[in-house]
Amino acid sequence: MALEAVVRPNASGRLMVITIAAVPLLFVISGLVIRYAAFASVSEEPGFAAYARALCRWDCAWYIDISEQGYERFPIPDHSNVGRWGFFPLYPMLVAAIRSVFPFPTILVATFISIACSYAACLVAWPLLDKNMRAYVLYCAFLLSGPFSFHFTTFLSEPLFVLLTSCVFLALKRSSYLAAGVSSALLSATRLVGVFVVFATVIQMFREHRRQGGSALSFPRWLLGRPDLLVAVLISPAGLFAYILFLYLTVGDGFAFLHIQRAFGRVAGNPLVFLWDGLSAVPKTGWLPTAPQWSALAAIAGLALSAVLAARRQYGAALFCALCIILPLITNLASMVRYVIGLAPLTMLLAILLSASKLIWLAALVLFLGACYFTTVAWIGGYLALV
Amino acid sequence: MPWSDVPGSYRRAAWLGGYALAAVLAGSEMVILALALNPDVNADYRAYYIDRTTTCLNRDATGSYTLGQTVSFRNDGAKQAAGIKVCGWSGPVADGTHSLGETSRLRVKIPPLRDGLAATLQMAAVIRPPQITQRVVISVNGVRAHAVTLSGKEPRTVSFVIPPAALGKADTLEIAVDYLDGIPPTPAASNIYKRSIKLLSFRLDAI
Repeated sequence: MALEAVVRPNASGRLMVITIAAVPLLFVISGLVIRYAAFASVSEEPGFAAYARALCRWDCAWYIDISEQGYERFPIPDHSNVGRWGFFPLYPMLVAAIRSVFPFPTILVATFISIACSYAACLVAWPLLDKNMRAYVLYCAFLLSGPFSFHFTTFLSEPLFVLLTSCVFLALKRSSYLAAGVSSALLSATRLVGVFVVFATVIQMFREHRRQGGSALSFPRWLLGRPDLLVAVLISPAGLFAYILFLYLTVGDGFAFLHIQRAFGRVAGNPLVFLWDGLSAVPKTGWLPTAPQWSALAAIAGLALSAVLAARRQYGAALFCALCIILPLITNLASMVRYVIGLAPLTMLLAILLSASKLIWLAALVLFLGACYFTTVAWIGGYLALV
Repeated sequence: MPWSDVPGSYRRAAWLGGYALAAVLAGSEMVILALALNPDVNADYRAYYIDRTTTCLNRDATGSYTLGQTVSFRNDGAKQAAGIKVCGWSGPVADGTHSLGETSRLRVKIPPLRDGLAATLQMAAVIRPPQITQRVVISVNGVRAHAVTLSGKEPRTVSFVIPPAALGKADTLEIAVDYLDGIPPTPAASNIYKRSIKLLSFRLDAI
């Protein structure tokens, strides 16, 4: 196909760079067109601002509040039990900083930044996909024009989370541990589960140690003898610790981001029971799965893809993704679809698997673009599985 | 740059700097963890968010009230009822203000009293078979004042005399309503979502 032709080994490097930059740009545009068409089909109010507001659903409102007003102290104003502490600060801080330069409504600024983050995540994915053009095209289509592209183009933490996750794994691939550590620190300030990426860093260090002929038992000693690696490991959770300190100083409870879950009705339980309950919630009419079924299926698919990552010896990415699914699964299936599709190693793996055959690749591409319209309508309509 | 590539003359300084930075990071993280494990919060915060011993987050809310006045907890009395509700309530809606969780509280400011007080609450049980009754225990200023079992969908008027021990020289009256048979919306749902009663009106009379 044409895209493959332009990146043949004999093609110029410049043309390749342009192609790599142009593919996600193309999907930025197509995604905007498809999602806007979906918005226009259900809304009477025209315009990009109305579109951006319509796509700002569920947690998006919390991020807007944090970006505009920061975090509350205790007691929470208006006699509310529910504070903003459960939402991590890096992305709303970034939006607030950029909004201070560009005086537009928060949701507009955030929409542009989300698109920019997702675009950048695509570029970072190129080397992670081993310069596989088919997989790259599919991955870009998934993030920017796919069935869940609204998650990556509105004010949610997913765009930055995917970008930073990709940066960590690219740095690890290049054995740039300090860069991985700094990206991990930012990731841990974006979402709680971001802190788990430190395990991927340690696993990569262990593999490097083994490649150099070191034994498993000598790994701790080798690590302690390398201050650069120690710094990389210890700096990884720095974003989380900074947020804990901030909450301690403002609320008096460093773990307020966990404790506030009570006010959201989150109850810890057995993940297997939650999965079973979700799968058992059969539709009363029709054949389409219910929202709990979609959520349970997403969690199972995510864990299965994590196992595939492990089988492909990507142990760090596999462990990171599995932990990112299991931790929220302890408190039920809420937002599970969003959590799974926001795991870059899984979606990259999916893109690689679907690119193995040209026919499947083409079918997946068409499916992604077509589904984008209908899922955007469902998202605007508040369909629970997409929360 | 790999550690091994650092020029020899700078290697020792960078090595020491690396360890110093690692020590600072580790030390800071341990201090922050220690702070987080010892939260500096008040008893209400601790009870609701940390210990989870209550579903009703106490708040600094005290409503104004005139003795002998009936406060509606339906839509028509929303404004006045809002000042009285402390926690554990949802609404109001057309059939009253629904309880939420395992305890609800009301708090009003009262004038100096020469005699006793009687309280009258109009309530209806939330019923979902097999749960067809709701046991309710009412305490005033921490003193148990009344217990009642509600059944049927029709509202019931519950009147009781507030124990003198609960009044003392208090200038506020806090009425806590505990529910022993709350119904969760789903088996796995948090206890903060349990439903027990609908409160329709509230009244205090001097006796």
